[in-house]
Amino acid sequence: MQRESEIRDPLIIGNKSYHDITVEIAKPVEGKANKYWWILFFLSLILFLWGVLCIAYTIGTGIGAWGLNKTVNWAWDITNFVWWIGIGHAGTLISAVLLLFRQKWRMAINRSAEAMTIFGVAQAALFPLIHMGRPWLAYFVFPIPNQFGSLWVNFNSPLMWDVFAISTYFTVSVVFWYIGLIPDFAMIRDRVNGVINPLKKKLYTILAFGWSGRAKHWQRFEEVSLVLAGLATPLVFSVHSIVSMDFATSVIPGWHTTIFPPYFVLGALFSGFAMVETLLIIMRKVVNMEAYITVKHIEYMNIIILFTGSMVGVAYITELFMAWYSGVEYEQYAFLNRATGPYWWAYASMMTCNVVIPQLYWIKKIRTNLVTTFILSIFVNIGMWFERFVIIVTSLHRDYLPSAWTMFSPSFVDIGIFLGTIGFFFVLFLLYSRTFPVIAQAELKSILKSSGSEYKKGHNDE
Amino acid sequence: MSEIKKYWKSLSQLNEDPIVKRLSENEFVEELPVDKFLGDKKNLSESQTSRRDFLKFLGFSTAAATLAACENPIKKSIPYVIKPEEITPGIANYYASTIYDGYDYASVLVKTREGRPIKIENNGTHSNARVQASVLSLYDSGRLQYPLKSGKEIDWKTLDNEVKNKLQEIRNGKIILLTSSILSPSTKQLLQNFINKYNRVEHAMFDSVPYDGILNANQESFGIRAIPSYKFHKTNIIVSFGADFLGNWGANNYASDYVGGRNPKSGKMSRHYQLETNLSLTGANADKRIQIKPSEQAYLLSNLYAALNGSSADKRLKSIVKDLKKNTGKSIVLSDSNDKNTQLIVNAINQKLSNYSKTLDISIPCYLKQGDTERVHSLIREMELGEVSALITYNVNPAYTLADNKRFIKALKQVNLTVSTSSYNDETAELMDYVAPDHHNLESWGDAKPYYNYVSLMQPTISPLFNTRQFQDSIISWAEMNEVDYYSYLKKFWSNKGIKWNQALHDGDFNLSESKYFPKRFVFQGKLTDNKTQDKNIEIALYESIALGDGAQANNPWLQEFPDPITRACWDNYITISPSTARDFGLKNWNISNGALNGSLVNIKSGNISLNNLPVMIQPGQANKTIGMAVGYGRKKCGKAGEGIGFNANNFSNSNFITIEKIEGEYEFACTQLHHTMMGRDIVKETTLADYIKDPSSGNERLEFSTYKGKLPSNKVTLYDEHDLKTGHFWNLSIDLSSCIGCGECVVSCQAENNIPVVGKEEVRKSRDMHWLRIDRYFSSEMTKELAVEEKISAIDMFSEMEEPSENPEVVFQPVMCQHCNSAPCENVCPVAATTHSSEGLNQMTYNRCVGTRYCANNCPYKVRRFNWFQYAENEKFDYHMNDDYGKMVLNPDVVVRSRGVIEKCSMCIQRIQDIKLEAKKNGDKIKDKDAQTACSAVCGTNALVFGDRNDQNSEVAKLREDERAYDLLDHLNVRPSVFYQTKVRNKG
Repeated sequence: MQRESEIRDPLIIGNKSYHDITVEIAKPVEGKANKYWWILFFLSLILFLWGVLCIAYTIGTGIGAWGLNKTVNWAWDITNFVWWIGIGHAGTLISAVLLLFRQKWRMAINRSAEAMTIFGVAQAALFPLIHMGRPWLAYFVFPIPNQFGSLWVNFNSPLMWDVFAISTYFTVSVVFWYIGLIPDFAMIRDRVNGVINPLKKKLYTILAFGWSGRAKHWQRFEEVSLVLAGLATPLVFSVHSIVSMDFATSVIPGWHTTIFPPYFVLGALFSGFAMVETLLIIMRKVVNMEAYITVKHIEYMNIIILFTGSMVGVAYITELFMAWYSGVEYEQYAFLNRATGPYWWAYASMMTCNVVIPQLYWIKKIRTNLVTTFILSIFVNIGMWFERFVIIVTSLHRDYLPSAWTMFSPSFVDIGIFLGTIGFFFVLFLLYSRTFPVIAQAELKSILKSSGSEYKKGHNDE
Repeated sequence: MSEIKKYWKSLSQLNEDPIVKRLSENEFVEELPVDKFLGDKKNLSESQTSRRDFLKFLGFSTAAATLAACENPIKKSIPYVIKPEEITPGIANYYASTIYDGYDYASVLVKTREGRPIKIENNGTHSNARVQASVLSLYDSGRLQYPLKSGKEIDWKTLDNEVKNKLQEIRNGKIILLTSSILSPSTKQLLQNFINKYNRVEHAMFDSVPYDGILNANQESFGIRAIPSYKFHKTNIIVSFGADFLGNWGANNYASDYVGGRNPKSGKMSRHYQLETNLSLTGANADKRIQIKPSEQAYLLSNLYAALNGSSADKRLKSIVKDLKKNTGKSIVLSDSNDKNTQLIVNAINQKLSNYSKTLDISIPCYLKQGDTERVHSLIREMELGEVSALITYNVNPAYTLADNKRFIKALKQVNLTVSTSSYNDETAELMDYVAPDHHNLESWGDAKPYYNYVSLMQPTISPLFNTRQFQDSIISWAEMNEVDYYSYLKKFWSNKGIKWNQALHDGDFNLSESKYFPKRFVFQGKLTDNKTQDKNIEIALYESIALGDGAQANNPWLQEFPDPITRACWDNYITISPSTARDFGLKNWNISNGALNGSLVNIKSGNISLNNLPVMIQPGQANKTIGMAVGYGRKKCGKAGEGIGFNANNFSNSNFITIEKIEGEYEFACTQLHHTMMGRDIVKETTLADYIKDPSSGNERLEFSTYKGKLPSNKVTLYDEHDLKTGHFWNLSIDLSSCIGCGECVVSCQAENNIPVVGKEEVRKSRDMHWLRIDRYFSSEMTKELAVEEKISAIDMFSEMEEPSENPEVVFQPVMCQHCNSAPCENVCPVAATTHSSEGLNQMTYNRCVGTRYCANNCPYKVRRFNWFQYAENEKFDYHMNDDYGKMVLNPDVVVRSRGVIEKCSMCIQRIQDIKLEAKKNGDKIKDKDAQTACSAVCGTNALVFGDRNDQNSEVAKLREDERAYDLLDHLNVRPSVFYQTKVRNKG
């Protein structure tokens, strides 16, 4: 039994027994959805369907349905791609890196954060597919032995690396998530009455994978978790590094930057934690998880946001410094144009949302207040979207030859597809919140006696 | 009669056995047992179709019906029954011919494939974008497809009878033949037959853009109504007052001579002064450009003449006077004025400088312009008075081109018989009683004598697409001549003059041996003027756009989408106005959120003529307090592509002063270049002639980079393994920025050769033009990096001021196509290896493999890659030639038509290279330099584009690569392009 210092804030509030935890976490799965869930679900579903229509329209007529042009060949598509991939990162960091660092507070949030990762990566993976001029030939990007002659993929291309990075990341994340879910599925399986609800029983029986709670099972569970955490940790860094190489290996001023891999990884964690907060602050209220996802959890995350946000700020300033220091006029103009050119408002939004606003978290009152945290997390989400937009569009729209300079403006289809992915994301997340145990209760129970508030008060002295 | 042999199958047949006989009469030897199962009523009624059987039948019949419906649609392609001797499928034939439509003239080679003309090549001379595009006008389904009577279809026989009857009935009134300038000697003789046949026939000619001033002046000065021939290559000084001789003024073959006289390598470069109102293509190439108002021209020419005779010169003319005095007999002064007196002064100046018969020659006249606008005016008066009984038009569209077209249209109602021979149901033709549509140039026989002693022949390269008839054949029919057709007439005409017909037809042209024309002695009778204009008035100067000229080919989508070399806008005409005058009137140009250009609207008025809702294009270089407007637009009847594009500026062709009124609203332009300056970048490298002579590599300093080996130029610093470029061919293209005048002929040539789609105004506005070859145009800016350092201006202010071009900018043109980098950024990033490097130094695009990620386009530093945003071929939304059964016939069968979703770009005309390689292989020869040509280099009249094999040490391109002026665009990137540029040399004072 681990012991925890009493001056540390408790991670589980209230006088909870193991059974209380089981009941409370199983409740959203077993009970009926409330009004708010249905409203949110239908709103998301409408957005999602609108996005599907926009995608169908694009595939039916051509990429010309978007606002792109001969100079700016990527804009919202790849902005959205990087944004969603970035959002996914917090999940893996929480479940893998924090596991290795033995951060117990991750237990309340890792399940949902990982769900967010998977749903986020699913949105992200959509864009490389639909941004293709001929998506029906998307299988060309896989190294499939073929009959076309000596055709093979180009391993020099960072887009190729993306294919592998994202598919690996997605696979590992899903496996890791699922392994963690097994004891919790077993818990639901055991609670479902097979006579009243045989289908549900059957389904959770399959999902629980024959879990019996034997000591041997627990031991294997712990080992696999550790191994997978070890596997997933490098992915936290590699995926976004590789995504950043889409830009870093090019010759376009503003893209061709060696600082991109760490800068993108930190940015991704930054945006990921913000999204976790956005989701959890709502979720803890809607499904009554206030006892498990406490203000302390939020504060921890805010501290990470403050740190990564500051690092991102350093990266922004380093970019500017390097542009000046390089003495390359194209590089210098690219950054000058970002800050003062026609897209200055995007740069200003990015700077404000990502660098200035997170600094408010130095103030304890703000970082421990749920309302301010929620508002600030939205700012960070917006800021990080703008960061990708700034990198992609402002670099492309004015590159080497001024004769080719132009601007970009999104069409309704661009906007529709983005909103559609948001809708899709929430549809998945809302379905998840009604069918999956949203907190890793099996793990959480392991810290009840060391970090539960009542136990900390000394009730548990044995 | 021979007997037919008979064979027997058996002995019994020979013996005529009755059994055999009976059997042969009966097809079915045994009776089919039909009765058995049909007759057995009982069984039949008892047998039933089970549910399973029913489903089987249903399934079978559905499947059979479906399969039958799956048959491929039948496309009518009729193979040759007897293959014509000269046509081998897959092999192109070339025919020498002539393009002349009353405005543009060129001697050309027509490339045909399987009997279809698909491309125009130059026959030794320079032409222009419109001549290049004329092959598409051949396949214009908007042309008239049959003769018309009052707008209804009619057959030729009825038309001929009715026209002849009506012509014969005419007793008192005149019969007028109204035509463009006629270059054809045989047609002129033919018309004489017509004139003799009927009473009071008169032939009047007029040009859509009048040249009466210079023609009448030469008539008075030298006794000949013609334009002199100019020898620009023999000049040291060229002073042009408004004459856009590199663009549309006069003949279109001046550019080769002009550039020939400006070769920095030889050390001789003529100095070119241009004094003009609108910024023309010629002005953009001038060494010194002075902005003047149109009304100042007469004064300045008078002043120049006086100054050459010793009096003091206007301060704008001081250096010109000095230069001209130093170079007597080695200069040309010319003017675009349509005022006889002004042209007389020009003649006097050239006479004074003893230029005649040295740099310009009236004894070798040019007959391209013969029209008499005054005659047309008197004709309208006669028509109004009812003195004209019949009007036959040919190659003219007076209801569109005349300034007082409304009066013409009204007067036309007084004429009893009106016949148009236009190949379109155009503004004039639709008002006529009869339209006897003419063939297109490429379907016609003909001849042209554009210059003294020189004749070029026109021959058909395809049998007529529609039920049209050549104008000359119509005349033969109406004059009831004893001729089979115009072809035999033409052949006889020249054979009688001792011309070897077949040889002449093969060459396309021949020289006559007429005695030289001796002009009468020149006596100056013009009036000098010192009338300067009042500053208050806004003056107007019309011009013909490089894209459309006089507008005859307005329905040609290639030309509509051809970006103007100066404004870079297409699908429009507009008012050009100088930045400061625009400020005075509160007129603006601005870019909207997707970059597209919008502009203010104005109404203009001159006397009782007015035009409303005209868009304003702010044009640096335009003289203050003046506006320019292009004619050729605003066609109301020309076919679907050109109708309703722009406005008709011809109504203002007699106006000098106008008033402008700004109105509410905005206009949407389609501009292919939205940014006009080089932003202080080293994109077009420039030097002056003086510096060049001192140091040939001046202006062409290569950047050096610090490495561990010391300072090295960019091409010595690399991480890449080199491609082997020494083995085999290494195709290179040199682009001489001193020789390129920006005419854009190559742009249309490339479009024709490579099946480049037309995307329309809305798409161009979204910056989605598809041209593989573009000609970037940059203006100089007042702000430079040096100035910013000197005046301690911050970088932010410097760059924002650099975006503004000067009010009187220097202009550079830079053709940019795929640079075929040998370390290509696009090749690295393609995930599916759809763009790869060839062993001959070319960057190749495999359309079939492309999935359309557009990563390559993003990573291209030159931004030359083009994406098929939509399906451009066979798509109703892009209703241009690729969506038209006739228009599609212009497509080059050697080049694939790209589907949507793939990237395309310049291939260095790989199909042409491959063709030449195979030809050489077949013959066991080596490829000779200049044999392989790209579409752009083949048509470049100024030799600015030189293509060839760099591994061939003797090739011109290999030598140019070693030239001190050669440089790579964006050389610091070290992408090692196979395309390189030669620095621009200006002969500044």
